[in-house]
Amino acid sequence: MTGRYVGRRLLQVLPTVAGIVLVGFLLIHLAPGGPIIALAGDSGDDEYYAFMTAKFGLDRPLPEQLATYAGNVLRGDLGVSYIQGRPAIDVIAERLPATLLLAGTALVGSSVAGVALGAWAAARAHSIRDLAVTSAALVLYAAPVFWLGQLALLTLALRTGLFPVQGMTTAGGPETGLAWALDVARHLALPALVLASQEVAAVARLTRAGVLEELAADHVRTALAKGLSDRRVLVRHALRRALLPVVTVIGSRPGHLLAGTIVVEVVFGWPGLSRLLLTSVQTRDTPILLGIFLLVAATVVLANLVTDLVYGWLDPRIRYR
Amino acid sequence: MGRGWAGWLMLLAVLLAACTGSEPGTAESPTATRAPSPDATATATDTATTAAPTGEETPSPTQTAAGGGTLVVAISSDPGGLNPAITTSGGTHTASELLYNGLVDLGPDLEPIPELAESWDVEEEGALYRFHLRDDVTWHDGEPFTSADVKYSFEEVLLQLHSRTQASMGPSLESIETPDEQTVEFRFSQPYAPLLQQLNVTEAPIIPRHIYEGTDPLENPANNEPVGTGPFRFVSYTPDAEIVLERNPDYFEEGLPHLDEVIMRVIPDEGSQVLAFEAGEVGWLWGVPGPDQERLAADPTVEFLQTPVNPGGANCIMTVSFNLERPIMADLRVRQAIAHALNRDQFLERVLFGQGQVAAAPISSGIPWAHAEGLDMPANDPAEAERLLDEAGWQREGDGTRTAAGVEGVDDGTPLAFTFVHFPTFSAYGELLRAQLREVGMDVTLVPLEPPVFAEQVFTARDFDTNIISYCNATDPEIGVRRMYHSSNIGEVPFSNAAAYRNDEVDRLFDEAQRTIDLEQRGALYRQIQEIAVAELPYFWIVETVGTRAYRSSCSDFQPSGHFAKTASCEQ
Repeated sequence: MTGRYVGRRLLQVLPTVAGIVLVGFLLIHLAPGGPIIALAGDSGDDEYYAFMTAKFGLDRPLPEQLATYAGNVLRGDLGVSYIQGRPAIDVIAERLPATLLLAGTALVGSSVAGVALGAWAAARAHSIRDLAVTSAALVLYAAPVFWLGQLALLTLALRTGLFPVQGMTTAGGPETGLAWALDVARHLALPALVLASQEVAAVARLTRAGVLEELAADHVRTALAKGLSDRRVLVRHALRRALLPVVTVIGSRPGHLLAGTIVVEVVFGWPGLSRLLLTSVQTRDTPILLGIFLLVAATVVLANLVTDLVYGWLDPRIRYR
Repeated sequence: MGRGWAGWLMLLAVLLAACTGSEPGTAESPTATRAPSPDATATATDTATTAAPTGEETPSPTQTAAGGGTLVVAISSDPGGLNPAITTSGGTHTASELLYNGLVDLGPDLEPIPELAESWDVEEEGALYRFHLRDDVTWHDGEPFTSADVKYSFEEVLLQLHSRTQASMGPSLESIETPDEQTVEFRFSQPYAPLLQQLNVTEAPIIPRHIYEGTDPLENPANNEPVGTGPFRFVSYTPDAEIVLERNPDYFEEGLPHLDEVIMRVIPDEGSQVLAFEAGEVGWLWGVPGPDQERLAADPTVEFLQTPVNPGGANCIMTVSFNLERPIMADLRVRQAIAHALNRDQFLERVLFGQGQVAAAPISSGIPWAHAEGLDMPANDPAEAERLLDEAGWQREGDGTRTAAGVEGVDDGTPLAFTFVHFPTFSAYGELLRAQLREVGMDVTLVPLEPPVFAEQVFTARDFDTNIISYCNATDPEIGVRRMYHSSNIGEVPFSNAAAYRNDEVDRLFDEAQRTIDLEQRGALYRQIQEIAVAELPYFWIVETVGTRAYRSSCSDFQPSGHFAKTASCEQ
C-alpha cells in the first residue's frame, strides 16, 4: 500500500538526516579556524579568545559538544548563532521565504517551460525550430550561472532599465499589500530567469530525447492508427511515458537549485538562505550552518520521496509495497 | 519579516497569474521575458527612466529646507546585528555607527573633539582622565543619557566583547568611577597616553544601560532594534536586505543631521554594487574597485572621497611578514634582498590602480605625529638584492632558482624556495611578488587561504615562510602597531606579532611610549622603534591602502567614516 510505503520511507528520513548532520558537524569542527576570529577581526588578545571560547562552549571536548548539540536538536533547539546572538532557527526561518520563492519559481518555471519546449521541439524533429531549441539549450546549459547573471544585469537591467539591479524590494518602496507583491515580482524576474535557464535547458533536452524515442514506439503507432490526433498522441501517449526520466531529473533539482541560488543570490543581492550559508561558512557560525544542513538534507530526502510517488502515478506498472 | 501572510499570499497570486500567462514562453521569445504582469512592466519602465540617484520613494517629506532627502547606501555584508559595542566587525560598524556616539570624536588629524563628553581633564600625569558629559543627551527612546551608561558600556560590554578596546585599554585600566551623573573618571595603574584616541564611536560606542543591564549583551534583542544617542535612529532591519534609519529630531548637535533618511542596502558583490550605483538604486559606495573607477570618473555627476579611514580599521598597510623562526628568513640579508627585489611602485599601480601610496615608514602616514619621515627604507634595487643573496650563500647558476652553499641551518643544495600565505582576496599581491622575486632567483609558492584558515596556519601552526597581512594601525600606534612588534604578542592570537619578532629595546620603547603623555616625546620614541624596525626588517611595508567612496554630486558634505552621513545633505 502506498500509505505504508510512505510511512516507511518517512522513517528512513530520520537516520539519513541524522547522518548528514553528523558528517556536517564533524566537517565544520575539523576544519581549521573558528567563529571567534570573525568576531575579533584583526584584534583581540589571549584573554578575549579564552573568554569567547568558554562562552560558546568551544573549550569542551568534541563528543560532549556533539552530545549537547544532538540533545538540543531533539528538543527542537538549533542553538544560538555565534555571530548574530539570535536563535539559529529564527535567523534561518526569516531567510527561507526568499529562497523558496526564488528556487520555487525557478523550479516550476523551468519544469513547465522545459517540458513544453522539449515536446514542441520533438514534434518536428530535425526542423529549424528543433535545431534552434536544442542549440539554445546547449548554450544555456554550458554557460556558467555567474556569467549569465552578470550578462543579464548589464543588458536587461542596466542598459534597458526594464528590471532593477539589486535586491528583493525597492529602497523605501511599498512595504505591504499588492504594491509590495508587484515590487517583489519585478525584482524576482531576473534572478529566477537566470536560475531557471540551466534547468530549462536540461529538462528540455531530456524531454525531447524521450519523446523522440516514444514517438517511434509501437503503442504510438497503434494510437495513430486508431485515428487519434497528432497532438493527443504527442501529449497523452508519447509525452507521458517520456516524462519518467524527466521527473527523476526534476526531483533531483532542488539540490542543484539550492547550489545555483548561492551564485544567483550573491549576484542579484537576493536576501536568501544561500547567502546566509555562504557568510556562515566564512564566519564558522556552526549553529546556522548545521541548521541549514538539516533543512537542506530534509528537503532533498523529501524531494526524492515525492519523485518516487510521482513515478507510481506516471507509470502504472510501478507498485509500492 | 513582519509583513504577515497577506503579502506573501498576494505575491503568490501575482506569480500564479504570471505563470499561467507567460511561463512557457519565457525561453521562447525575448518579448515575453519582460515582467510578470502588465502592471509590473509599467512600474519597471517608469522607475527606470525617472530614477533619481536615491531611487524611487514617496515624494512627500523630502522638501525640507535644510537639504534633507534620502541617501541609499550600499553595504557589502549583512551586519547580523546593529550593536557596535559587542564586535569590531566592519560590517556591523558600517551599518550601526550612525546610531551611536562615543565620548569623543576624532578630527581630521586625529585630534579629539567633544561628542558625548563636552570637556575633559587629564590629571596625575595621565593616570586619571575626568570627562564632563553633556546634560542634554537623550536615548532614542527618550531616557536621559548619564555617566552610568558610560560605566556600564565599558565595564560590562566594551572591555569584554570589543576585542580592540579590551586588548589595548583593558590591561592598564584600574577602575571607572561616576562621582555624579555628568562625570566619569577613568583611573589607570600607570600613565596611559592613548586613551583619547580610543573613545570614538568606532573604538568605544556607548550603549544604553537601561536596556542592556542584566542581559547577555550578545543576545539582547535590542541588537536588532537598536536604541542609541546618534544622529539617526532605527526604523527597520530586514536581514541581508536593508536597514532603514531616520533623522533623530532630538539630536544634541545643533542643526544636525540634515538627511531625513538613510537606507542601507546589502549588496554583496562589488561589481553589482557599481551597477546598482550606475542604475541609480544606491547613492553611496564605500569602495569602488580600481578598474571601475575610471569609468565612473568619466561621469561628471559622480564624486569621490578618498580616505585612509575604514569602519573595520583605519590606516592600513599591506605588510609582508617574514617568519623569523625559519632558517632562511632568519638571515637579515635574505630579508633585505627580498625588500630590494620588490618594486613597490608596481604594487601601487597594478594592484591598487594608484589608490594609496607606497609605505614610507612602518607606521602609517595617517598618524602624522608618529609616522617617521626620511627613513632609510630599502629601495628597489635588484642588483643589490642579487649581491646580498650571493653574500648570504645562495648561489645562482644561470637564470634558475638559487641553491644553498654554506648557509647556516640549511643543507647545501637546498633551493631558495619558500611559501607566501595570503587571503584569496590578496592574490594579486602574491602573483606580483612571485614574479618580482623570481627575477633574483627566488622560487615563491603562493598559498591562498580563507581568513579563519589563514589565522590558524600562520598564528597557531606557524606553518609559513612569508605572508601578507593588511595591518591596520588604527588611530594610535598603541592600538594597531604595538601588537606587531612587542614580544608579548607572539602567540596564537590572530593578527598579532606574525614575524615572531623579539627585541628587548623595542619592547622597552613601546612600554615607555604608552606611559608618555607628551605627543612630541611619544613621537620621538616611535621614531626610534621605526628606525630599528627598518634596520632589522621583521616585516616589509608595501603600500598604504585607502578607501574610495563614491557618491552623486547632488549630495555633499560627507565625512570619511563613522558618522559619515551626519553632516551630509542631498538635493531632491
